Amino acid sequence: MAALWKTCHQCLRYGLSHKSFYPSVSAINVISKRNFKPRWVAPTLREIKRRKDVEDDRNGGPKIFHRSTFLEWNYDAEIFAFSNRLGEKFNEATLRTALTHKSYVERETARLSDMGVDSYLQIQNNEELAVVGGEMISKFTNGYLRAVFTQVPEELITAMHDFLTSTSNLETVGKHIGLGDLMLCSDFPCESETYVKSLKAVVAALAESSGEERARIFVQDLVVTQLYGLDINELWNPSDPVGNLTDILKREGKAEPEFRLIKHSGQNSVLAVYYVGVYSDKNFIAEGAGESLEIAKEMAAREALKQLFHTEDSMKALPFGRQLKNIQSKIVQLENQPNLPLSKWISEKVTSAVH
Amino acid sequence: MSNKHLFLPSGFIRTPLQNGLGRYIPQLQRITLKFCKNHGGSRGVRDFIETDLMEFAKTNPGTVVYLKPRRHRYPCMVAEYLNGEREYLSCHEFSRAEIQKWLSYMCTRSGIPVMRFRKYQHTDYPSIQGVWNPFTHQAPEINVAQFPHEILSKPVDNGPTATDQLIEIFKKTQIKDPVKPEH
Repeated sequence: MAALWKTCHQCLRYGLSHKSFYPSVSAINVISKRNFKPRWVAPTLREIKRRKDVEDDRNGGPKIFHRSTFLEWNYDAEIFAFSNRLGEKFNEATLRTALTHKSYVERETARLSDMGVDSYLQIQNNEELAVVGGEMISKFTNGYLRAVFTQVPEELITAMHDFLTSTSNLETVGKHIGLGDLMLCSDFPCESETYVKSLKAVVAALAESSGEERARIFVQDLVVTQLYGLDINELWNPSDPVGNLTDILKREGKAEPEFRLIKHSGQNSVLAVYYVGVYSDKNFIAEGAGESLEIAKEMAAREALKQLFHTEDSMKALPFGRQLKNIQSKIVQLENQPNLPLSKWISEKVTSAVH
Repeated sequence: MSNKHLFLPSGFIRTPLQNGLGRYIPQLQRITLKFCKNHGGSRGVRDFIETDLMEFAKTNPGTVVYLKPRRHRYPCMVAEYLNGEREYLSCHEFSRAEIQKWLSYMCTRSGIPVMRFRKYQHTDYPSIQGVWNPFTHQAPEINVAQFPHEILSKPVDNGPTATDQLIEIFKKTQIKDPVKPEH
């Protein structure tokens, strides 16, 4: 009897106790409680699930429904909650325009003309807002990167900017602020470009409603924070670090970099390791490790460049959110001022880090 | 002692979209309260709706509250989060205070499913100075040293041997130079 009770309880813990049939959800989490169900409930539900799975496989996946098809849906309330969730004030008409896509307008016009009503729909779409918003996101990202990474060459800034404004990053941001249910578009499930366009249009709408300053803070809080935890040296590496280091030292009037073998172990074996150090005028700059002498030399040059650009593994933590209060004016100033490119980089010309 | 017997998934503490790093965005997108209009088990939900619901909606303006009266069905609440997860909770025979408590629980969660936290800290930079490797504190002299070496062949922190200590003690017991007697 005790064993039977234990088996029943195990079945219930696996989630067979609830009777909700939300169609569009792949995982629904139940806060389970003790429930006493008759013997036949679990086998019946199991059979129903098996039949449903067979049908789903035949149809190429479970049926998905847009949230707006549910009975409990209020678009006005959702828009209101969206702006409050982000802590921003939007001009409602502009926000609705920002969430309306051209494909939706076209679909509605086609539907109406199919029904025989030949009216020209006055709904605006978010094409222009998206373009403006995209430029803004790009500008604000560049401003932040140049203000925080003051001693970094422009190539790395571009790499970081391209990552932050990439489709995948912006799509993730758009999904996680709840744009998926609010967008009016004809494609479902929505494509990445739709999410990206909506996010850009929302940024533009915010700038129009509350000013560019709020839009800048919005981009810093949502888009730029995705830089946290990334190794920025994975995003970009100089293709010829030895040449670049030589050029920089020559420009600064220092001696040519000299590479010396510091440590080595396991030569002629599979696990060989060489440590090569870079010296300028007998002063140690950096060391790098590698499986062969050439690799170790390149790594040493890369480490030396990292030290010059202040992007080592031990560099200072990036500022986010409230920590940016004091450097906002600097960010604005640097939005249109690119950093020095690698071909012209010299440490005297770059200012010390602000934070 | 071990956690292998648990079916609860385990993981490290995390937050969606680096929430809180820039600004804090409440992760509860919408909550649907379903209840029966006159069955006894829905009494707590009905009382909650009549008294505390407006205050809840005012303090959480970022969450949409839907009310769905369903006759002859047990009450429940379904919470939907910004990352697409859903939480279902049956509110049958709950009191008004219990509903309040569970609602506040739903509000403070992100949508990440309940799991056992392996650690309550997380860092992307576990090592600042660099992970130790056998070369870390080695003297550079080993590169050009001829082994066996006087210093490097010996163990590092040997301390004085017993013989050395005895020699030291002996030296201390030696009679020092006699003081010239005063005349």
